[in-house]
Amino acid sequence: MAAAYLTHQQKVLRLYKKSLRHLESWCIFRDKYRFYACLLRARFDENKNEKDMVKATKLLKAGEEEFWAKQHPQPYIFPDSPGGTSYERYNCYKVPEWVLDHWHPSEKAMYPDYFSKREQWKKLREKSWDKEVAQLQAETPAGGPRTEALPPARKEGDLPPLWWQYVTRPKERPA
Amino acid sequence: MPSLHIILTTSFIITLVILISPVFTSILYKSLNPIWHTHHIKTAVKMAFFTSLLPLFLHVHTGTELTITNLHWMNIMTFDINTSIKLDHLSITFVPIALYVTWAILEFASWYMKSDPNINQFFKFLLIFLIAMVTLVTANNMFQLFIGWEGVGIMSFLLIGWWWARADANTAALQAVLYNRVGDVGLIFALGWMATNLNSWEMQQMFITAKSLDMNAPVIGLILAATGKSAQFGLHPWLPSAMEGPTPVSALLHSSTMVVAGIFLLVRLMPLMQDNPFALTTCLILGALTTLFTTICALTQNDIKKIIAFSTSSQLGLMMVTIGLNQPYLAFLHICTHAFFKAMLFLCSRVIIHALKNEQDIRKMGGLHYLIPTTTSCLTIGSLALMGTPFLAGFFSKDAIIEALNNSYLNAWALALTLLATSLTAAYSLRMIFFVYMNFPRFPALSPINENIKSITNPLKRLAWGTILAGLLMTCAVLPPKPPMLSMPPYIKLTALVITILGLTIALELALFTNKQRPYMPKQYFYFSTMLGYYPTIMHRFFPYTFLKLSQTIASMTIDQTSLEKTGPKTITSLNLSLATTTSNIQKGMNKTFLSLFFTTLMIIILLNYY
Repeated sequence: MAAAYLTHQQKVLRLYKKSLRHLESWCIFRDKYRFYACLLRARFDENKNEKDMVKATKLLKAGEEEFWAKQHPQPYIFPDSPGGTSYERYNCYKVPEWVLDHWHPSEKAMYPDYFSKREQWKKLREKSWDKEVAQLQAETPAGGPRTEALPPARKEGDLPPLWWQYVTRPKERPA
Repeated sequence: MPSLHIILTTSFIITLVILISPVFTSILYKSLNPIWHTHHIKTAVKMAFFTSLLPLFLHVHTGTELTITNLHWMNIMTFDINTSIKLDHLSITFVPIALYVTWAILEFASWYMKSDPNINQFFKFLLIFLIAMVTLVTANNMFQLFIGWEGVGIMSFLLIGWWWARADANTAALQAVLYNRVGDVGLIFALGWMATNLNSWEMQQMFITAKSLDMNAPVIGLILAATGKSAQFGLHPWLPSAMEGPTPVSALLHSSTMVVAGIFLLVRLMPLMQDNPFALTTCLILGALTTLFTTICALTQNDIKKIIAFSTSSQLGLMMVTIGLNQPYLAFLHICTHAFFKAMLFLCSRVIIHALKNEQDIRKMGGLHYLIPTTTSCLTIGSLALMGTPFLAGFFSKDAIIEALNNSYLNAWALALTLLATSLTAAYSLRMIFFVYMNFPRFPALSPINENIKSITNPLKRLAWGTILAGLLMTCAVLPPKPPMLSMPPYIKLTALVITILGLTIALELALFTNKQRPYMPKQYFYFSTMLGYYPTIMHRFFPYTFLKLSQTIASMTIDQTSLEKTGPKTITSLNLSLATTTSNIQKGMNKTFLSLFFTTLMIIILLNYY
């Protein structure tokens, strides 16, 4: 269950992962990287059974400071990740689905099957919308949603909440 | 011979018509045809290239140059503005080269941008850019040049921000516009100065009337314009950021054509500067500083496009050094040869990036010479030409520049910086080659890598031929206007070659060191180079913060506070309040005190009067 605060385990694992990523940025060749990654893992494993939380927190703090001092100024970022070279690049081609309603009838006539099905789906959407909202209102805790994950449909014959946004989402890489 | 002039004029006008016609056909006809761009624009540029070869051959064979003035545009008292096209050595040589490079890039882009739904618009933008560039290059007056200048700036903005949904691309496009605008201030100042003092914007008249005047002010304006457009130190950060645009844009605009517009302006207006030692020294120092600084930045970059971008900036600095040496022909020769191999380097980098599914970091490349041999061979040829390997294109221009620099009695500091930059050019080129296609692959095994597509190999091969032959052809075909120094001691003649080999050797040793088991602790100069000299970090925060803070102070403190509080209603209120308070405080009901004071004063006056 996700909460507002990170556990100690989460913090240590995040430090470990980002240390490995920056190590990968420094050690370009895989054999050298593997060697230093093993040394790093050994350093983390030395203190993994520490039961005293004060000492563990101090070790974590020292680790974060060492990471800050030794981080790579241009860490490797995957192209599709935030900060990467092709992040958000294709968002300009991701058109929302309501644009289809504004097509000219002659253009809609080129795809009769799809648009006839679309009318049925829109009616289905209108019918299920109130139930979706009711389910979300019932299931969302008072302080707001804890995660972005949507719940599945709970009752027989219901559709999952916000299914229309999911079904009509644009492709990851629009052609 | 008048018939030669007619042939020259006609063929050039035909070239322009071939280039401009697709813009109009796209307005008249709906370009919904998915291969409209290939049929119309790429073919138009190809035909325009072949048509522009005729003036080139005529010029080389007979030395014909001419100026075509055909439209009296406007007239303000004694000030005339005409549309006039100057076909001299510079424009006749540059236009075919620009068209050849553009043809290769458009053919490549027809493959690379095939899946883009707006490919027709993309090609149209590139064509409009090319027309603006040709306008700039063939302008015989400053007004027409300014139209081309602004045109290339605007198209650069539109093309860098092609993927407009990406925040970094929008930032980069704005950066390009703002930095270019700062440089344009210099150009506009120079235009105004020339209009008021030389009473003309026609180049011939300007050169004649400027002989007796002090030209420091307009020339500094022109150098500022070149600094902005050609990414010299101070106004350089936009060029690496411009790599956010698609690679055909980087290959055409930000390596071969647009960025050389600033240098081209200075070459065109060299008669105004050649007797001005202050201007020449400024160019020399600025160019030397730029070339070394950007080379140092290129040494530690990990994005392949950024390495090539900094390489471009470094070569532009070298061109500025050549202007400072009073060798405009050599600067122009370097512009022409540089166009070939730099465009080829960008296209090769795009093939590699596409093969690795948009991976641009050289730390995740490697072992590609088995997989894409043609591309890596072209990358090698381009890098060798960039380093000035004997008898490739770059050699004829770069070696001549270094020789001229060595033999001049100008600034030794500039010479030292330029030689160091030449050595480091070899270093970063080798570093790029080492990480990109030597050793073993460091990328995940993805879908098969294929370069066996005509649209990729044909442009690369054409540009490779250009890289190998262009320098030789240009040097053999045209005599330089200034005789070069032909006899010099061997150590001066071989300086460029020796320091390049030295840079290569040291870089190879250091590169081979990177996969040895030795912990690596970076030093401060590594951080200096990786963070691009801290220049963007400081400048992109300091100036906007200062100006916005100042404008906030002016708007809120100066205007609002002054008009409302210091001089306006609140001041009146406080003054009135203090007067009223003082007055009412004086009269506190101390009647006995007031009466006794009154009578005392009265008695004193009566007694004084009496006596």
